[in-house]
Amino acid sequence: MAEPAALTVEALAVDFNGLRAVDGVSMVVEKGELRVLLGANGAGKTTLMDLVSGKTKSTEGRVFLYDAEITNWEEHRVARAGIGRKFQIPSVFKDLTVRRNLEVASCEKTGVLANLGFGFSSDAEARVGEVLRLVGLEELADRPATSLSHGQTQWLELGMLIVQNRSVLLLDEPTAGMTQAETHKTAQLINRLKGQHTILVVEHDMAFVREIAERITVMHLGRVLAEGSVAEIEQNEDVRRAYLGSAVIHGQPEPPC
Amino acid sequence: MLTLRKLDIAAYVIFIVLIMLAPLVFDPFWLNRIAKYLVYGMLGVAIALSWGYAGILNLGQGLFFGIGAYMLAMSLKLASPTSLAQGSDTPVPDFMLWNAEPGAPTALCCINRGSFLWMPFQSQWFGMAMGILLPVALASLIGWVMFRKRISGVFISIITLALVLLVRLVVIDAQPLTNGFNGLTDLGWLTIAGFEFDPYVVPTYYLVAISLALVLVAARLLIETRAGLILQAIRDDDRRARYLGFDVPIYQLFFFAVSAGIAGLAGMLYVVASEFASPTFMDLAFSITMVVWAAVGGRASLLGACIGAILINTIEATVSETEAFVEAWKAIIGLIFILVVIFLPRGLAGLSTDIAEWALARLPKGVAPRGAAPRRDVQPAE
Ligand SMILES: Nc1ncnc2c1ncn2[C@@H]1O[C@H](COP(=O)(O)OP(=O)(O)OP(=O)(O)O)[C@@H](O)[C@H]1O
Ligand SMILES: [Mg+2]
Repeated sequence: MAEPAALTVEALAVDFNGLRAVDGVSMVVEKGELRVLLGANGAGKTTLMDLVSGKTKSTEGRVFLYDAEITNWEEHRVARAGIGRKFQIPSVFKDLTVRRNLEVASCEKTGVLANLGFGFSSDAEARVGEVLRLVGLEELADRPATSLSHGQTQWLELGMLIVQNRSVLLLDEPTAGMTQAETHKTAQLINRLKGQHTILVVEHDMAFVREIAERITVMHLGRVLAEGSVAEIEQNEDVRRAYLGSAVIHGQPEPPC
Repeated sequence: MLTLRKLDIAAYVIFIVLIMLAPLVFDPFWLNRIAKYLVYGMLGVAIALSWGYAGILNLGQGLFFGIGAYMLAMSLKLASPTSLAQGSDTPVPDFMLWNAEPGAPTALCCINRGSFLWMPFQSQWFGMAMGILLPVALASLIGWVMFRKRISGVFISIITLALVLLVRLVVIDAQPLTNGFNGLTDLGWLTIAGFEFDPYVVPTYYLVAISLALVLVAARLLIETRAGLILQAIRDDDRRARYLGFDVPIYQLFFFAVSAGIAGLAGMLYVVASEFASPTFMDLAFSITMVVWAAVGGRASLLGACIGAILINTIEATVSETEAFVEAWKAIIGLIFILVVIFLPRGLAGLSTDIAEWALARLPKGVAPRGAAPRRDVQPAE
């Protein structure tokens, strides 16, 4: 038997009192693949991630992580099963220092009693140090996270996922609000994670997408509109029509929302 | 190298040394007063732990304080000479006799319908154990429901506030069992290994002072554990914490219960020092006053909140000696609260941290740490 795909979504749907924000999405992401999720504002990309990661309960469909079904599990169980998530609005522990943020992420045991000890294993500390270097926040390690710039906060959140080392990563607009230089650095970071993790990333910025993407899934009004390589998607008539009037596909970043 | 952290630890040491030395300076009357303030300080620690570190603003901490107080007071009531002198094999509280139906047997088992509940309290150890276990169990139960349902913020405050009012009513209503409004008075002394803790002797002061020191150090160590760090992470962003795989309600419940246990212990010590337990412990005003102490001292600092409680009560006692101020005091405390919230959101502890940082930054090079980072979780006091 072939190795199961890392993430399988089957006919997933959610109904918000009549609004079907995700409406029968099926998608298979192979182990080690980097998949870009594209779509106009309100297409349902974030909602799809909410459904996969347990924040929102689906009304139809199923989600598999490898061959384990994780449909509608609670967030912490989905996380423990192996899915890490970065939010569209960066989300870090703002009163804790940068290092502390990463240390929290480095806790392998999650129970309260298991964590009644002091300090972290040398292995965890080493990982934290490595990630600090990787995301370029070494100098700021002892600053509270609230003092970071927007881009740095995004990197910190990404760093927390790297420390955690989950097998599947859901990244919701990791470059939102970044300058071009910052965006480029983020692309490099994500390229480094490629292969070691299965990654699903939502992105508007086509320059960035070209830098990282292998396969793209385009969503429109809660459904999958098209799937293919960067070139295929850029040629796709349906996609062009859906984006009519929108500059996204031509390489200009859309303003963050 | 002098760092904020070292100053912070020094502040704990100085505080503990000071409260240990108090008997050298004060007479028994004042020592008894101070013991009560130290109990309030312990409540400050409990509030800071749940409000400052867990982000749970419990407006009903008096519930756990009150339960702790009543549990021990029941045992001490049975140990009182009047309870022992009712001509029965078992001690019987005097108020039960006053209210007994004609012909009711004069025995704890059956003088009224619920009096058997008092029977295990003949053992003082049972009362002492319940003084902590019951608040912890109740907090775990309430917490389990609230945190599983992801109730947070102001809704927790409303629920805890409603609960303390409810229990207060029940206690007042269950007059035959609790002596209602009047509470439990005329108590015996706590007796451990043959030693009687008369509220006006030095060892009783030390019982309270050492308990406070232990609670302070233990709570401080607790928040320095990984679990304490994760708790603060949850306070900052519970969603992020869930997505890192932490079962958030378990953490909240754990620290909520620890805070309740500390409040229960404080309730028991208060009974030892004051020789009564009363439904006023569960007055809404009292629970809110505790929050003010913690806010003034600094809710994000265990020691700060503790000192805040002691300070405010000392000032109140001093002020109350002047007739004209007694009434004005409530207004003054309200005003202090508003001023602190507006101008000193991190309380006195935050202020002293800022001062310490300012001073450290101005120390000659080689002494001052390079790039001393502002840290909110440490604070030197005074
Ligand atoms: N909890 C909810 N209740 C009701 N409607 C919701 C909810 N969450 C999302 N929606 C709606 O679902 C639709 C899809 O939203 P979603 O956030 O998934 O879009 P998106 O593709 O991430 O867009 P963007 O590019 O703006 O981030 C929107 O119309 C949104 O208003
Ligand atoms: Mg979105």
